[in-house]
Amino acid sequence: MASKDVKLMAHLMRRAGFGASRERLDELVEQGYDETVESLLSAVDRPTRMTDNLIRRYHPEYSGMMGNQSPSGNWMYRMVSTDAPLREKVGLMWHGMFATGYSKLANGKVLHDQIRMFERHGMGSFKNLLTELSRDPAMIVWLDNSENHNGSVNENYGRELLELFSMGVGNYTEQDVKEAARAFTGWTIGNTEYMTLKSARDSVWPYGRLSFHFEYKEHDHDSGEKEFLGHKGNLNGEDIIDIICEQPATAAFLSRHMYSFFVADEPPVPEWPYKEPRDPEAIAALSKVYFDSDYNVEETLRFLFKSDFFKSEGAHYQRVKSPAELVAGVLRLTGEFDRPKVDMNPTNLQSTYMGQWLLNPPSVEGWHWGTEWIDSGALVERVNFASERLGNIESPGVQTLIDRILSDGNGGMNAEELIERALDELSVSDISYKTRSALVEFAEVQVNQSDSGKPGPEQVANVLKLVGATPEFQRA
Amino acid sequence: MTTTAKPRTTRLTYNRTIGVAGMQGRGFYYPWSVAVAADGTYFILGRGSDSDPRGVRMVAMNLEEEYFGTFGSFGEGSGQAIWNASTAIDSQQRLFTSDDHLNRILVRTLEGELLDTWGESGTDEGKLNGPTGLAFNSKDELLVSDHLNGRIQKFTIDGKHLSTIGEFGSGDGQLNLPWGLHVDGDDNLYVADWGNDRIVKFSSDGEFLANFGSVGRGEGEFDAPSDVCVDSDGYIYVADWGNQRIQVLDAGGGFVQQNEGQATISKWAQDFLDTNVEESAARDASDLDMDLVFNTDDPHERSAHIEKLFWGPTSIAIDNDGHVLVVDSNRHRLQVFNVVTAG
Repeated sequence: MASKDVKLMAHLMRRAGFGASRERLDELVEQGYDETVESLLSAVDRPTRMTDNLIRRYHPEYSGMMGNQSPSGNWMYRMVSTDAPLREKVGLMWHGMFATGYSKLANGKVLHDQIRMFERHGMGSFKNLLTELSRDPAMIVWLDNSENHNGSVNENYGRELLELFSMGVGNYTEQDVKEAARAFTGWTIGNTEYMTLKSARDSVWPYGRLSFHFEYKEHDHDSGEKEFLGHKGNLNGEDIIDIICEQPATAAFLSRHMYSFFVADEPPVPEWPYKEPRDPEAIAALSKVYFDSDYNVEETLRFLFKSDFFKSEGAHYQRVKSPAELVAGVLRLTGEFDRPKVDMNPTNLQSTYMGQWLLNPPSVEGWHWGTEWIDSGALVERVNFASERLGNIESPGVQTLIDRILSDGNGGMNAEELIERALDELSVSDISYKTRSALVEFAEVQVNQSDSGKPGPEQVANVLKLVGATPEFQRA
Repeated sequence: MTTTAKPRTTRLTYNRTIGVAGMQGRGFYYPWSVAVAADGTYFILGRGSDSDPRGVRMVAMNLEEEYFGTFGSFGEGSGQAIWNASTAIDSQQRLFTSDDHLNRILVRTLEGELLDTWGESGTDEGKLNGPTGLAFNSKDELLVSDHLNGRIQKFTIDGKHLSTIGEFGSGDGQLNLPWGLHVDGDDNLYVADWGNDRIVKFSSDGEFLANFGSVGRGEGEFDAPSDVCVDSDGYIYVADWGNQRIQVLDAGGGFVQQNEGQATISKWAQDFLDTNVEESAARDASDLDMDLVFNTDDPHERSAHIEKLFWGPTSIAIDNDGHVLVVDSNRHRLQVFNVVTAG
């Protein structure tokens, strides 16, 4: 049975990464918890093993990005192969919060660029991140800021900046929305008409997609006096972001997002005005770090990962893995994408079938996380995917798992021992009595199939398949 | 101290752009390789997209953009391909293509009729693991870039193994994920040694002769070169894929010239714009050659924004009239250059 230290490390790696092998967990325990947190935080610039060149060589579509699967497939490769998993997890958090989608843009490259922007800026100052987000070409087209003109205001970006990206409903007025929108007039993309027309027509002609670039049009900016959250002046977009970041509501809203993504599932965002946070003290503590660190995301995450509320066993398995996290985590275990392969596209589609089409959320609100991932159809997809992949004896990672499990049973292995070893190798702990009983019952059948009294690779693979189907494996 | 700039030689001048994005009929969907038949017809092999495999086919056309037809399709069945990789034509005008997923070589007539299929997956001599670049020598022996095995293998046209050149590694005569191949008039073999960022030259009997270039973005340096060809004067043309440019070297490997792409509107592209007036007008009002600052030194980013630039040059070849053809994959077109000879 895994020690308390291993359990805690597995918890950290499920949240700050996509899980880790038992062998890796032992190495990290040896390194120490705080050192591992620091290593995760500082690894954000580490290049991925699956380099851009490798991905582009085999999948030109993940380079030219003409179709709607390309940016998510490219991203899945990075999630599966990265040695800096926290960078991708933080990217996933921001993508969930600042959800932007292919359905309107019809341009995979600009969505890919947005994720790369999250990788560059997602761990720094939240103020800087909001500024970059406001300049992000995908966001500008997604929320119509390219239609936000001096004298003809489009409020869409100004509204969502306040409602979904920073403060949350109930902390500003309709007048604040209007004034924020005015402040962002002139923040657009270059060649606006041609780029938005190509998007609207889903045109790849004559020569494929063209990336968008930010352009500030001074002549289209409303430079008149504005009043926003009690501040008056000739406010520009940067001023609006400065004021937003000073608000306690912003600190609380961002902290609740971070808590929900890394500690324990919160209700969907639309319910937040009416439901207290699960742990108000944790939100208050995170908010304090937000202000003390000058809105620094890395510092806030450092505090979070080292906090008692994160380390507490009560927080273990309190998140349902999102489909992308589940797919990436399983693929990292199976090791089947050690190099680019033609199967990536159908494999990445599994996340879509489970309800999360990366870079193509259902709306600007993004996805509803937590237990809403698990409706009956999605659950079947999740269980089938995990079971099928973990039971594939041809995968190098599965072979390693089997070898390690069998290496412990030289003198034979009964059903209970087999289940214990399988759970340990997949870093699944705190399993319910009911689940364990069902697993052991199944394992007895497997062990009895063996003449030697010791399960063989096929029997172990069957057990791994079943562990992949457990509720505990579907949680983080 | 004063320095004098080294006089530059111009070996290539831009001629035209041919092709347009298109999943069916006229056009390409990630074109990947080009071969030229004796009658001057260009055969352009499409890689296609993983999510829309209609581009997995061959398109026949010429410099004037006359369209002659298309054949081939996505799949594992007879005559089909999953990952089209390269094409070459032998002296008998048989058209060969490689598939680096199915590990096989298809042989067709120029009209598309399937003549033969061969290739077996594996690592032993004669077996294939990711066949990419193809080239014929003067004896009509087929050289295959067996890229995941880190070697070049020589076969008869019906797939009998003759010899093996190179092995995996980074030393002299070693290869790392080799891609495009070229055989010159003396049967010397040139290999785009993609993973080692260089061009490797072997003699006709497989003896290592030279390495050209090293990793970098400077003149004479490469980032993952995809293909190479050599003209009758010995000049070497390299598709410097990761640097999104082509480079010209002299016979000794000295830098001569580079070009980042100068694409213009092809005839097929013009046909599209002529029938899509609103899009054409918006395009005319745009600046597609902007001066932008990027947050990375990866030229891929610049090429994604500036339409005239190469974006994924995967193949380079010389046609029967001496034009240098560059397959500009992510832009679904070929850029064509003239060779400027001395005198």
